[in-house]
Amino acid sequence: MSELQSSLLLKKQLAELNKNPVEGFSAGLIDDNDIFRWEVLIIGPPDTLYEGGFFKAHLYFPKEYPLRPPRMKFVTEIWHPNIEKNGDVCISILHEPGDDKWGYEKASERWLPVHTVETILISVISMLADPNDESPANVDAAKEWREAYPEFKRKVARCVRKSQEECS
Amino acid sequence: MGNCLKRSAADDISLLRGGNEPTRESSADPLGPPLYSEIIQPVFYPSPSVSRPASHLTEEEQVKIAKRIGLIQHLPIGSYDGCSKKSRECVICMVEFSVEEAVRYLPCMHIYHVSCIDDWLMRSLTCPSCMEPVDAALLTTYETT
Repeated sequence: MSELQSSLLLKKQLAELNKNPVEGFSAGLIDDNDIFRWEVLIIGPPDTLYEGGFFKAHLYFPKEYPLRPPRMKFVTEIWHPNIEKNGDVCISILHEPGDDKWGYEKASERWLPVHTVETILISVISMLADPNDESPANVDAAKEWREAYPEFKRKVARCVRKSQEECS
Repeated sequence: MGNCLKRSAADDISLLRGGNEPTRESSADPLGPPLYSEIIQPVFYPSPSVSRPASHLTEEEQVKIAKRIGLIQHLPIGSYDGCSKKSRECVICMVEFSVEEAVRYLPCMHIYHVSCIDDWLMRSLTCPSCMEPVDAALLTTYETT
């Protein structure tokens, strides 16, 4: 898979997402001349604490995509057990197979070259609705989510409000 | 012993593709021939996130990769016949197969462009569509036939 093929594959996905937008997010490029760096806007999923929020995130694709996964980072502040305080998303499908640092992810839950921007974002949106308690990236958020839910809710609500202000 | 992967000519993946990848040399040094270490070597992935030039592989990794290459070579290649029951595009590069194009069959019967799937299998021996481990499935077929 050459860099040219990688960029063609990403261009194809961008064109497809522009033509047939997927519910729950919108996608574009950070810089129109760089197909390897995307900016997405995730709409806080309905019936979750994140409802009403607009969360901006960046996806950084390696030149070896789709053999290797992109990195994803929230730019909008977000409080979630599986998102680091600096915004880095920690989700098993973005981890390379064989790269099981923590030793509990099944190979089937990790990166596969069939993943697209759409499948990645669908996983991230479902992660927002349903945090994975086993692999917290933000330990404080995970602890609150388990033991001090009202405080967790308050922090998420603050992020949602802030995201609305940034977007307007 | 154990250095069979050290030079790019011997057992590398380019054999799988007809060996048409030229070995490029570094043009950095106008004063003399490039040192051995400066010659661009094929890169291998003992694990998906670990990439190493051929000469930096440990003996254990060389064996692992040699086995993997051998196994990939045993997977059949066919030409795409446009049969409607088969998938119409390669899900790795999302490009439609054209009739007569070379496709590789995995034991689970999923098909891909040869170059797309070989690059992936060199990193991970699983089918990207159904996640079936290719090596285990191949052993089972050997045992039952």
